[in-house]
Amino acid sequence: MTGAPLAPHLPYAATLLERRQLSADTALFRVAPEPAGLGALSRLVPGQFVQLSVPGGGEVPISPADLPGADGTLELCVRRVGHVTQLLHDAVPGQRLGLRGPFGTGFPVREMAGHPVLLLAGGLGIAPLRSLLFHLLRHRDEYGEITLMYGARQPELMLFREELVALAGQGGLRLYLTVDFAPQKPAGDFSCAVGLLPDLLLGFSFDAGKSYAAICGPPPLYRCLVGELEGTGVAPKRIFLSLERRMRCGIGRCCHCAVGQMLCCTDGPVFRLSELQQIPEAL
Amino acid sequence: MKNGYLKNDQLTQFLETLRLLGALHGPTVSEAGVTAFAPISEPASWRLDYGRTLIPPKKYLLPFRENLLQFRDGSYQSSAPAAPDIVLFGVHACDLDGIAYLDRVFLADPPDPGYAARRAGLTLIGLSCKPDDYCFCSSPQGSAPCDLFLSTCEGGFLLEAKTPKGEAIADASREFLSLAPPSPPPADAAHDCCALKPQDPQLRFSDNPLWARFAELCLSCGACSVCCPTCYCFDVREYPSLSGGGVRLREWDNCLFLAHGEVAGANFRETRLERLRYRFLHKYCGFSPLQGVVSCVGCGRCKAACPVAIDLRELMEPCLPDKGDAL
Repeated sequence: MTGAPLAPHLPYAATLLERRQLSADTALFRVAPEPAGLGALSRLVPGQFVQLSVPGGGEVPISPADLPGADGTLELCVRRVGHVTQLLHDAVPGQRLGLRGPFGTGFPVREMAGHPVLLLAGGLGIAPLRSLLFHLLRHRDEYGEITLMYGARQPELMLFREELVALAGQGGLRLYLTVDFAPQKPAGDFSCAVGLLPDLLLGFSFDAGKSYAAICGPPPLYRCLVGELEGTGVAPKRIFLSLERRMRCGIGRCCHCAVGQMLCCTDGPVFRLSELQQIPEAL
Repeated sequence: MKNGYLKNDQLTQFLETLRLLGALHGPTVSEAGVTAFAPISEPASWRLDYGRTLIPPKKYLLPFRENLLQFRDGSYQSSAPAAPDIVLFGVHACDLDGIAYLDRVFLADPPDPGYAARRAGLTLIGLSCKPDDYCFCSSPQGSAPCDLFLSTCEGGFLLEAKTPKGEAIADASREFLSLAPPSPPPADAAHDCCALKPQDPQLRFSDNPLWARFAELCLSCGACSVCCPTCYCFDVREYPSLSGGGVRLREWDNCLFLAHGEVAGANFRETRLERLRYRFLHKYCGFSPLQGVVSCVGCGRCKAACPVAIDLRELMEPCLPDKGDAL
């Protein structure tokens, strides 16, 4: 383990240990970084991202689905959507990978202490929020009420469902699940609400004045959710959004990821809503 | 030795002195008529009275394409950057300002290894110029950051060393330099052009109809960005080789191109209007640590290169004398 600065463009090696299929196109990959990366990764904050390399494919920014485990391994929840992620999905345990980072800002877990926290996840947006959720639950007595509202398009696309339900069963987490569409469900299957995520906020009673909110999902979700959330009374400076942009370098150089005059890779990817409100193109 | 006077007929000798520090490059005109910084082999190929080169000197610091990494058996190694010692002669003040801006980007923490190595091997010899219709710089020419600046004067050049390296060059040229010019140099000719001030980022959402007109005209060809001395966006690509290893390349990218704002399943700058605004924002308002820093150095290349004569300055006209009410 070393605290020495890493060369900005050079990934440290990592090995794919195992994969768990979560849905037809999404899997959870457990990755073991080589010792050179452990120092940097030990400072990972929920919401930050790493640049994951698949040799021969290239790099993609991924926000880990949990902080590194005691053994230093990292969980990355990745959907198969492009060249690099396709190669990752094709890989078998033992595959050599590369990692850079962590980069960017995370969710302000210290600032949130003592307050109720509302997590709103849409689709794959559950991945970075799972990391935040686990952190909050591991330090459960430092936070007020913790609520997760998670929406997926349809039941089979809902990720980590059993795991989340089990966590809610232990108390300490209020869990609301919803799907946009639900085909007829077989007897004995788990049930959840049918409707869009913003619908869950209607009639939801919580201490909005004191609450922090963390949102992660596709851009259309932000556009319809942010207004609803502000309407409940959560202050814009306490609403945090994790944005997606094309981040090539992760260190503020390649200039693909500007959000207004801020860079998503160094000033984000987690932004306060109050920082974004003057930027019409942000969401 | 900080200052001196170089007579025209001793220029060749001076250039030979410069060659001691590295390969000598300077403004040339190709057979096809393209003005470019290129190796100076014979005196006949120099063009000291050049207007502007097509491609700015950023090509010496950020090659169009370079190997960042190589990989074999799944592990990555840094590629050693090629950083030959080069003396770049005859750089105008605007291009020197451009290099100073790139330094702020690529030498900030953590410094970019390739850029830093090439920058350390680059000696910059500035040269005064005569602004033409495309120019809109303003800083006094002699203030441009370089090792040694040459100002044209009666019968030769005034030399001003600006760094220890520049002083060493002047010292090495001592035997053929005079201490003072025969007559006082003319005052720095006032430029009838004007530098742009930092712009309000909200200007890009103004209802100025010019935005729509520009977007209608723009071909998204990206010429303005390629020829800009301070445009440095890059893309990173990885190519496997047939033998199992491969390389990761960095190459110039262009914010006018459709793919620039693409992510899986979406594009954050799908229209030409959005891409023009992005360029405006980067050039005249600045990103993140360089917010408020105008990176436009007034070289006039984008205006000269644009095939449909878009001049973003028209949006910010208040500083131009003849179109004060464009906003």
